[in-house]
Amino acid sequence: MNRCSDSDIRELLPDLLHGTLAADARGRVEAHVATCGECREELDVLRAIKTAAVFAPQIDVDRVVRQIPPYRTIVPVTERPVRTRAVSWLVAATMAIVVIGGGSLVLMRPKVVNDPRAVASTERPPAPNPAESTAASSRIPAAGATGPTAVVSAPPHPRALALAANVDDLSDGDLRQLMNDMNRFDALPASEPDPVISVDSGTSLDQDLR
Amino acid sequence: MTPSPEGRPEETDMELIKQWKAGDSRAATRLVGRHSEALARFAASVGEREGIEELVQDTFVRAFASLDSFRGSSTLRTWLFTIERRLMLDRRRSERRSRETVPVEESDHVSEYGALDSLIAEEAQERVRKSLDALSPTQREVFTLRVQQGLSYKEIAEVVGSTEGAARVHYHNAIRTVKEFLRDE
Repeated sequence: MNRCSDSDIRELLPDLLHGTLAADARGRVEAHVATCGECREELDVLRAIKTAAVFAPQIDVDRVVRQIPPYRTIVPVTERPVRTRAVSWLVAATMAIVVIGGGSLVLMRPKVVNDPRAVASTERPPAPNPAESTAASSRIPAAGATGPTAVVSAPPHPRALALAANVDDLSDGDLRQLMNDMNRFDALPASEPDPVISVDSGTSLDQDLR
Repeated sequence: MTPSPEGRPEETDMELIKQWKAGDSRAATRLVGRHSEALARFAASVGEREGIEELVQDTFVRAFASLDSFRGSSTLRTWLFTIERRLMLDRRRSERRSRETVPVEESDHVSEYGALDSLIAEEAQERVRKSLDALSPTQREVFTLRVQQGLSYKEIAEVVGSTEGAARVHYHNAIRTVKEFLRDE
């Protein structure tokens, strides 16, 4: 048996088998096969494989079709609503975290006292008596303070005033006792510092030592 | 539109898809009836032994669920083969994983091949089956799609995720192996 040199024709043998060739190509291939032993043998092999080698089960078409959901019910599943809803939840959760976290930061941040009037109040000379001191602190600028910022416009914090007055009233012995008590305080800062009361009047920093 | 055996014009796959989308469930029946046998034969040809009906069913369910993505650049059958092949690969991967954990009993082999042997009645068919067993998995896929399904090299390349040239080479190697096997038997 001679070896076939027409590879183009041999390429088309499966198509001849399946009847998918156009009329002119089919005529050409059939004419070649009639004279070529190798292509005839190959066509026989292909035919045997096509017809005999497969033992596929019979498919129950109705059963398969029953498993196919109708088109209308498939579309919503493959479309976006679920994903959009998930994204909405994600955005809402992110916003909630930002709001809660930001709010917590604002609440936990210690207020920095940088008002010069507060510093000035600590340098104020002792008042002769509590009543006078109270009256003076609400009436006149703090001692040592200059310029318009030293003018006290708001009423003093009552408790701060009371503290300042009490300290002023203490004797040397009481002050020493107070200093000793202060030395026993825990030097470590609290994990959540107490909110600082604004000292925008003649109050002192004494309340920070409470 | 080609005429059906009953004489009335037979709808193309695309026309049936359109009808099914419009709510005609009979169009699905016609599509499944038209392609299910080819899918079953392809699965059996490339070595699937069990669960072929489930495989074909899963193929159609998947295909119908994503028919909107089928643009018609290939034939519906080629597209179905592609889906089925992917399912077969998934199935084999999971079987391989389960084999790694569950020891396979000797009797499993005996029952599997015993059932298959009982189906092979003639000696010629047995020889042909053995000749296909001599092929590599890729050669077998390409050869089956070309000889049993009549797909072009371009369509085969699409199904197996390869190039047209590679599919041609696989086919030529496969036919040479099959012929040598049958000659030596």
